[in-house]
Amino acid sequence: MLQFKRSFLTVGLTLVAAVTGLAQTQTLEGIKSMSRSAITPIYAGHEVKGYLMYGQADKADRKNDNYHLDFYDQDLGKVSTVTIQKPAGKYYLLDNAFNGSAFALYYFNQKDKTLEIETYDTGLKKLASKAVSTDISKMEMSGIGQKMNTNNAGGEGAQLFSGLDLRPVEGQGFVRSSADGRRYLLEMYDNNLNLKWRQQTDAKAKMLEMLVVTEVTGNYLMGTMMRRPSLLSQQLSSYIVAFDLSTGKKVLDQPVESSKTEQLSLSSVGYDAARKEFVAVGEYYKLTDKPFVNKSQGFYIKRFDDKGKLLGIRPYNWQKEVKGLLPAEARKAMDEGFINYTHSIQKGADGSLYLVAEQYRIGGKGMDVALAVLGGGGGGAKGIIGNMLVFVLDPEYKLTAIKCFVKDESKMALPPGAGFMGAGLTGQFIKAYGGFDYQFTQQTAANSQFNVVYINFDKEKGEATKKVVGNILFGTTDQFKVDKIDGNSAATYSYVYPAKPGYVMLVDYLKKQKQMGMKLVKLNM
Amino acid sequence: MLRWLLLVLLLGIWDARAQSVPVSRPYFMPDTVRAYKLARAHRTALLAQLEGAALPGNADYRNHYRRISTEAATDIYNTIRYSALLDTVLDAAVQRIFSRIQQGNPTLRDVELVLVRNPEPNAYAVGRTVVLNVGLLPTLENESQLAYVLCHELAHVQSRHLQTTLHERLSTLHSRDMRRQVRHIVQAEYNINSRMKELVMGLSLSSSYHQRRHERQADSLGYELLRRTSYAAPQAYRTLQLLDVADAPASETNPELARYFGCGGLAGRFATAPAPAKSIFTVAGPEKTPLQTTDTLKSHPDCAKRMAYLHGLAGGQIAEGPQPVAPAFARLRDLSRLEVLQSWFDTECYDHALYEALRLLPQQPAADSYARAIVQLSLYQLRQRLTEHRFTEVVSNSSSPQPAAFSQYLRTLHELRATDYADLSACFAQLPTSPAPVAASDSDEYALAARYAAAALAPDPAPAATLRRQYLADYPRGRLRELLFAESQIKRKSN
Repeated sequence: MLQFKRSFLTVGLTLVAAVTGLAQTQTLEGIKSMSRSAITPIYAGHEVKGYLMYGQADKADRKNDNYHLDFYDQDLGKVSTVTIQKPAGKYYLLDNAFNGSAFALYYFNQKDKTLEIETYDTGLKKLASKAVSTDISKMEMSGIGQKMNTNNAGGEGAQLFSGLDLRPVEGQGFVRSSADGRRYLLEMYDNNLNLKWRQQTDAKAKMLEMLVVTEVTGNYLMGTMMRRPSLLSQQLSSYIVAFDLSTGKKVLDQPVESSKTEQLSLSSVGYDAARKEFVAVGEYYKLTDKPFVNKSQGFYIKRFDDKGKLLGIRPYNWQKEVKGLLPAEARKAMDEGFINYTHSIQKGADGSLYLVAEQYRIGGKGMDVALAVLGGGGGGAKGIIGNMLVFVLDPEYKLTAIKCFVKDESKMALPPGAGFMGAGLTGQFIKAYGGFDYQFTQQTAANSQFNVVYINFDKEKGEATKKVVGNILFGTTDQFKVDKIDGNSAATYSYVYPAKPGYVMLVDYLKKQKQMGMKLVKLNM
Repeated sequence: MLRWLLLVLLLGIWDARAQSVPVSRPYFMPDTVRAYKLARAHRTALLAQLEGAALPGNADYRNHYRRISTEAATDIYNTIRYSALLDTVLDAAVQRIFSRIQQGNPTLRDVELVLVRNPEPNAYAVGRTVVLNVGLLPTLENESQLAYVLCHELAHVQSRHLQTTLHERLSTLHSRDMRRQVRHIVQAEYNINSRMKELVMGLSLSSSYHQRRHERQADSLGYELLRRTSYAAPQAYRTLQLLDVADAPASETNPELARYFGCGGLAGRFATAPAPAKSIFTVAGPEKTPLQTTDTLKSHPDCAKRMAYLHGLAGGQIAEGPQPVAPAFARLRDLSRLEVLQSWFDTECYDHALYEALRLLPQQPAADSYARAIVQLSLYQLRQRLTEHRFTEVVSNSSSPQPAAFSQYLRTLHELRATDYADLSACFAQLPTSPAPVAASDSDEYALAARYAAAALAPDPAPAATLRRQYLADYPRGRLRELLFAESQIKRKSN
């Protein structure tokens, strides 16, 4: 959230700021504080079509503050400002979603302890407002707190464990997901926030369920479901699930990590609309191996039809299928114990499948690693983040190329018990706490061009250290290319946000000068 | 004797070289001492004028006044120091016109005119200095129109509008009433921003009212001053007509990008401009403040209102519609366009520089080699900024306030990739040169720099090193040296 300075001068400067910006930059003065979540990109499908800036302005009355919702278009042209009056200092914007005909803004009302949604039409006239949850779980509260306080690079999917999610459904409305660690809840609303359907864990279910939504595509909402018998249980198993968006009915619920010959860990799940198949991707281990102590055997792709029937599982063994294609740098890292976390799976316009992954491993002294794995202590164990990888599979799922993009290693502290989570889950933990360098993947509407963005700097020493904003460009019209932007600046905080195709947006906040600058940067393609 | 012979020989070479240089070039004087002295003189004069008088009001008023005086003096110093155009043709011409006005109005003799390299069509008065942007000259048709603009600014000086405005605004700002209002808003705690905004809007309304009153006075007095000269007073009305559409010419002629760049692999690329990105918002237009939308809140009244006023003042004796342009003034306009183009380039507005150079090519054959050089140099700079991730700092955004044709051109520019610039440069180089009356020599500074830029853009940039050495040897104090071969770059390349 932004906080505006309340002074006479600021008013004048803010007025000036409002009329500037012919170029693809915006400079705002009088900003007292800023977090990463103050700006959220507005997506239409896969493309960034604007930005929403949320800021606390001044007091409206004894109990309420004025909050500004500043809408910008994809070129950083100011569209409009909407002022809302909400509980003083206790009203936060969590996310926004645009479904082609309406905007939904997802808020946390700390005063009333509620989650609220407001919808606006494309002319920014308010359509509806509703408190969608009056019973916020501890897990969600933790996620909200993390989102509000995270100033480091977090990138997309950093709220993985909060269960909080709001997804647009084109032309129909919005789906909200919720979780408390015991059960999941899905609710579909139309643009006027009328409830269309609700889906949740069966009251008679013996297992605790947690849903992480990964994608809304066509007619389906997809996600990974984690089930365990009790809160303290270590027997965690992953399933891929899909829900019909028109009815809320669950159409797919398949175990992923169960195998007689291997341990499977689930990284991501997507939907191939052309083939009408669900595709799950992860890594696999020997049954007797321990993740992180032993190396994974490779990665796999598991496919299901839209009825949930298993179509096949294809393993890609590091030694057999992968090693021959691995560049030398990636092979060396693999020998050092690095494994891959798959951030995103992209389907190209020509049918190629791209798996965007980042290498990571547990580092630290031997005892720390052991404690982290066993669940005790672990104060010195760190997640070590390595290179970026892009696996290219042809339309028949044959691995055709692996591209490695070397980065400086960065580290993040792991909490005790990280080892209990399993390989995939530990990766997801690092993801949730912004430990990976990967930020986001942006793509053109036609899926012809992709840009994988990462920020490389030493997270232990902070952003003041050498910082590189890397852009891995590829697609049907491009060879793989890396465009590195020098991310060093005198700013107190710097952030990178997705932007229109061919660009990224860099934001610098200078605390002393109370100044924030937004700039679109054209990439070298 | 031998020395004399050598000197005559050298002078002969120098003369031959001078003759080979085309006439149509923007003015450049590496020696900036004259501009420095002039800037200092104007700064001193302004400070003396503003701070010489005893100041009324309280301590806040006086401190604020001094701060503004210092800032204004610094501004005028920087403007003159870094952009004064002290050439022998344009400056001489505008100074001559200014002198004629002063001869007709002897009480205005202690005011000075400075012509500056600013591409925006504008003129203004600060203290006893009238600043004329060179960008205004191409929009006018004759000396009488320029004389009216200068008379208008002289009227501001004569009426002491700057001092009056300063006093009025600061008196209001530091008045007891204003302090009470601000204190009241702050103490009330609630809705401070919106209430402050209302207060500021009130102040703006008040100051705009006074400023509009000053503009009307300047129109009126300026017209009287013009009448006392030998210039044609009916042209005053036509001047306002032209200023009303000052931004329009850019949209009339769109450079034919396909003609200049549509060869080889780029054929067909420029046949149609990229469509503007569709906005997801249906909000009616970009947000505008009342200062932008309400005529009564603008500092200057709409030209239509000013014209109607002047029409009445002149008793219907007005010149309307396009006026014949005398050859001498046409020459001034042509030269000023070169200065405008160079100004865009010098201020790193490479999108404007490229656009104006392409527009200039078919219109001024005498400036063909210069315009071609600026095209190559602009392409080089655009590619450089793109690879340095600073493209959006030197290229405007395509948006509604821009003329349609320029917006279309900008969209094309934004679509280009770094790898395209080599082809653009090669395509452009193939274009037959205009049969200019005086051809550019290969050793002409611009031609040489353009050859370097084209070589640096080419797939094999090796020849660029040779051209760089040649430029640095031939033009140790060249105009483009700093831009193309800044000391840091030279050191980096030599290491």
